[in-house]
Amino acid sequence: MKEQLMQILTECCPDIDFETEVALIDDGILESLDIVMIVSEIKDVLDVEITVDDLVPENFNSVDQILALVEARKS
Amino acid sequence: MAFTSLSFLILVAITVVVYYVFPKKLQWAVLLAASLAFYCIGGGKTVLYVFYTATTVYAAGLLLGYFNGKKDQVPKEQRKAVMEQYKKYRQLVVLFTCLANFVLLYILKYWNFTAELFQPLVDRFFHGAQIPLSSLLLPLGVSFFMFQSVGYVIDVYRGKYPPERNYLKLLLYVCFFPQMVQGPISRFHELAPQLYAQRKLDYTNLKYGIQLAMWGYFKKIVIADRAAVVVNTVMDNPWSYSGSMIAFGVLFYCIQLYGDFSGGIDITRGVARLFGIDLAENFQRPLFSVSLADFWRRWHITLGAWMRDYLFYPLALSKPFGKLGKITRKKIGGKLGKIIPTSLATFIIYFVIGIWHGANCRYIAFGFWNGSIITMSLLLEGKYSAIKKKLHINDKAAWFRAFQIMRTCFIVFLGRYITRAPRFLTAIWMIKETFLHPVLPNLWDGTILTLGLGIMDYVVILLSVMVMLAAEWYQEKHGVIREALEKQGFLVQWLAILIPLLVLLCFGILRSDTISSEFIYKQF
Repeated sequence: MKEQLMQILTECCPDIDFETEVALIDDGILESLDIVMIVSEIKDVLDVEITVDDLVPENFNSVDQILALVEARKS
Repeated sequence: MAFTSLSFLILVAITVVVYYVFPKKLQWAVLLAASLAFYCIGGGKTVLYVFYTATTVYAAGLLLGYFNGKKDQVPKEQRKAVMEQYKKYRQLVVLFTCLANFVLLYILKYWNFTAELFQPLVDRFFHGAQIPLSSLLLPLGVSFFMFQSVGYVIDVYRGKYPPERNYLKLLLYVCFFPQMVQGPISRFHELAPQLYAQRKLDYTNLKYGIQLAMWGYFKKIVIADRAAVVVNTVMDNPWSYSGSMIAFGVLFYCIQLYGDFSGGIDITRGVARLFGIDLAENFQRPLFSVSLADFWRRWHITLGAWMRDYLFYPLALSKPFGKLGKITRKKIGGKLGKIIPTSLATFIIYFVIGIWHGANCRYIAFGFWNGSIITMSLLLEGKYSAIKKKLHINDKAAWFRAFQIMRTCFIVFLGRYITRAPRFLTAIWMIKETFLHPVLPNLWDGTILTLGLGIMDYVVILLSVMVMLAAEWYQEKHGVIREALEKQGFLVQWLAILIPLLVLLCFGILRSDTISSEFIYKQF
């Protein structure tokens, strides 16, 4: 799952180093447009339902947080 | 009641004194009384609209709280099912509240515009029929308090926090007086706890508040109101001026707008700070933006954030946009196929922001201008990257950043032609004149001295703008100026208040003939 997610993230935002960044939202690295693109891709590729209510900084600050969100919504 | 009026200063002074001598439990009631007094003096009967909005969002909050509370009455594993069961009711509450407020906002702000737009059509098909026009007074800061209030309801719907059960406390959140003229659009979970907090008189809060408000008055009175003289002279009759003079007028409009709006927000935040309340930032040095999208993230931040959270996300992640995404991925493929739905949602948001500014074809065109450029830059991002790679351009090089800033300023500058021209077609003509018939000698042959300001006024504006830019450059590089000031001695800290005050006395208040006082964003 993590490999698939990393592939989506790097395809959507090739300039961001997702391996090391842990404050993607707090530091303004991920913008609203990026978030929508990433979420749309996750919904399409991983078949996971992510809603507007999930779009909070705590879910998108790092790869691990995004992964946790995806896994929570998948289960 | 204008921020620049003596009556406002007296109201603030009285409120500060009463706030800190009143029993701490009732301090929030002092703010409510001052807010209602401010609105009644400034808006008269239109205060009823404030009560209307407060009542609708209060009732909606309670209903949503009731439905949200249902999940707490069942075991954890059944909560999701219960929330699903009541989802439709909760959605209906939000829908009704949005309609109750935004339909009213439409009638107040846009009805006459649409009536005039459709009257020729009615004339054609129903001879003699007249679409009735609204004669309702536009309440002060109506879209600001409605957006802020509807945001509260949506957050309660999303379960971010429980509803406020005290009507009067919620009313204070809706009408807190410093932000009633032009925002910022606050969030309940950030503002409300500060409004209801119990506070002791704090020297730092008073000092910070006065410093910030003085800086705001400096930007508003010394810069914006002075620049307004040139703007009004040129824009009242642009046909009498050459292209270079029109451009000069639009440049002064840019200066006026920034001084006026950001100065007003500084006054708002400064006054709030006197009560220990830290309001949201609305500007982050937009003059240093590297793209138009970046500009809109730094200009009127709270409106942009509101649009992002309550309109852009729900729209871009809605089912129709999801379906569109599937189609574009399949038919077009690649990055372009993925980005088309997001670009469309982006275009719609900037279009809405344009219309939010006013009921006029110019603002529709303004929304179209911003939406088109940002959407195009999104769609062409891949091409730009390829060109930059080919030309070996380093994104982080200072010269490239300077180029990006100048390019953004130019795009924003052109957009201002649209919003300030008397009519949309006049704006097009003005842009054409600027580039085709500039008559550049007008810039140095004394024509600018016929626009209502003398040499001394231009010197004051030039020096003031340089001071403003220097302060913003410092903030961009090193962060908050007040923190640097705090490390200085008592004298330096109070000079930061006294010098702007002296400048205001010499170049602001004493030149009362140039003072316009009203804020541009007040009408929004």
